[in-house]
Amino acid sequence: MEKIEITLNINGKPHEVMIYPNETLLDVLRDQLDMTGSKESCGEGVCGSCTIHMDGKPVRSCLTLALEARGAEIKTVEGLADGDELSNLQQSFIDHGAVQCGFCTPGMLMTADALLKENPKPDEKAIRKAIAGNICRCTGYAKIVEAVAHAAQPQDHCCDCNPKE
Amino acid sequence: MLLPRFDYLEPKNLEGALDLLAIHRENAKLLAGGTDLLVRMKKGLLKPKSLISLKSLNELSYIKKEADSIKIGAGTPLADIIASGPVQDDARALSQACEKVGAVTIQHYRGTIGGNILQDNRCHHYNQSDFYRSGRQACHKDGGKICYARENADRCNSTCQSDGATALMALGAKLVLLSKGNERTVDLDQFYTADGIVPHSIEPHELLKEVIIPLNNAQSAYRRLAYRSAIDYPIVCAGVLLRPSETKKDQIHEARIVVGAISRAPLFLPQAASSLIGKKLDDTDAFKKAADASMDSAATFAVHNVGSTLEYRCEMISLMVFQALTEAAQASKI
Repeated sequence: MEKIEITLNINGKPHEVMIYPNETLLDVLRDQLDMTGSKESCGEGVCGSCTIHMDGKPVRSCLTLALEARGAEIKTVEGLADGDELSNLQQSFIDHGAVQCGFCTPGMLMTADALLKENPKPDEKAIRKAIAGNICRCTGYAKIVEAVAHAAQPQDHCCDCNPKE
Repeated sequence: MLLPRFDYLEPKNLEGALDLLAIHRENAKLLAGGTDLLVRMKKGLLKPKSLISLKSLNELSYIKKEADSIKIGAGTPLADIIASGPVQDDARALSQACEKVGAVTIQHYRGTIGGNILQDNRCHHYNQSDFYRSGRQACHKDGGKICYARENADRCNSTCQSDGATALMALGAKLVLLSKGNERTVDLDQFYTADGIVPHSIEPHELLKEVIIPLNNAQSAYRRLAYRSAIDYPIVCAGVLLRPSETKKDQIHEARIVVGAISRAPLFLPQAASSLIGKKLDDTDAFKKAADASMDSAATFAVHNVGSTLEYRCEMISLMVFQALTEAAQASKI
């Protein structure tokens, strides 16, 4: 087994890395590129905390070989914000208290971001279905669903919701 | 979790993949989406010398509707099948089954229909970490002589928990298997070996090319029971197909009932289904009888190895079959 040099296109920038064939995309992101936003929890595709986008679609990076990610547009949670300015979705997560321990948050954000790209006005059912593959062990699902609903439609969102200006 | 070491082979086309398979045979495994294969490799259940990546083989990803069949390439992502109009209209059971697999992040892009059919059988005594398994004697599937799921069993009782295979068997699907210089078609209900260790009769040098679903004006439905609506494998599932008679539209001419996640393979139950032939599409009593007959036939195969209690799973067989039959009958009437 020899190291192979590959180029990964992450958050719009090319990164050259030397990897072993048995390294997953998550290993490379976290250990070589210091993008520790994506988390490893179960490591077997159950929890969703390692979710990233490949060509705009949410996938599990712990079950994707780095070699298989060549040529794809990869977006990680680090790519959501524009510099210091958080995306609407990220701000909404903060405003609604959707972050407790924060371990599931990167996966939730990436899954929700993909949902909003596909369906800009999801109802609660659609949101719950989309994030069904992400586990939050603080069980803060209600807040997360609210945060996603708010990011999608700030005007129509719940009446008692009053996030900070 | 670390993956064991392997060589990564990347054929440019189908021909190249078949050449590589012919050379490496059982030492190589095909990597499509990897959502089942990589998990098993991480747990040390599988240590192939090489992985043959199907990444560049776009020719395996298609859905074609023809006059009397739908042909689906084995490399088609589940998300494409769920979104496909022809599958939703004419092979609804498959669409419903794919929607239940894993979660959206597994279905999109990564998980393929071929991988779903060819996923290995599971057992909660076997699908465990290296560390867990190192503390006890190896079971049949692990190369030993014991079965933890059924006392004194002389063979492996692992369970086939594929959603896709159960639905496809109800639809009467056929598989096209390719090897170098050879192509063969098998009925999905003849594809299983009744051996939990090597559940599918696919040779190591063969590759699943496509799934053919015959169309004959039938309506199908798929129901499954699992702990959670997402992520989990089914603990019981049922796929059914009802074809109304051509002359009398409200009468059942053909019925197929398949119960999954109970045995080493999805169970095709022609006897239970035969009682439905000639019955009316709104004959709820007949559906109840057929569902109970399915439970009686399938329960003898059940083994306590995929979670929940055996009694509960067996009882739920009849409910899943009944619900699926009712749904298929309703769809036939429209």
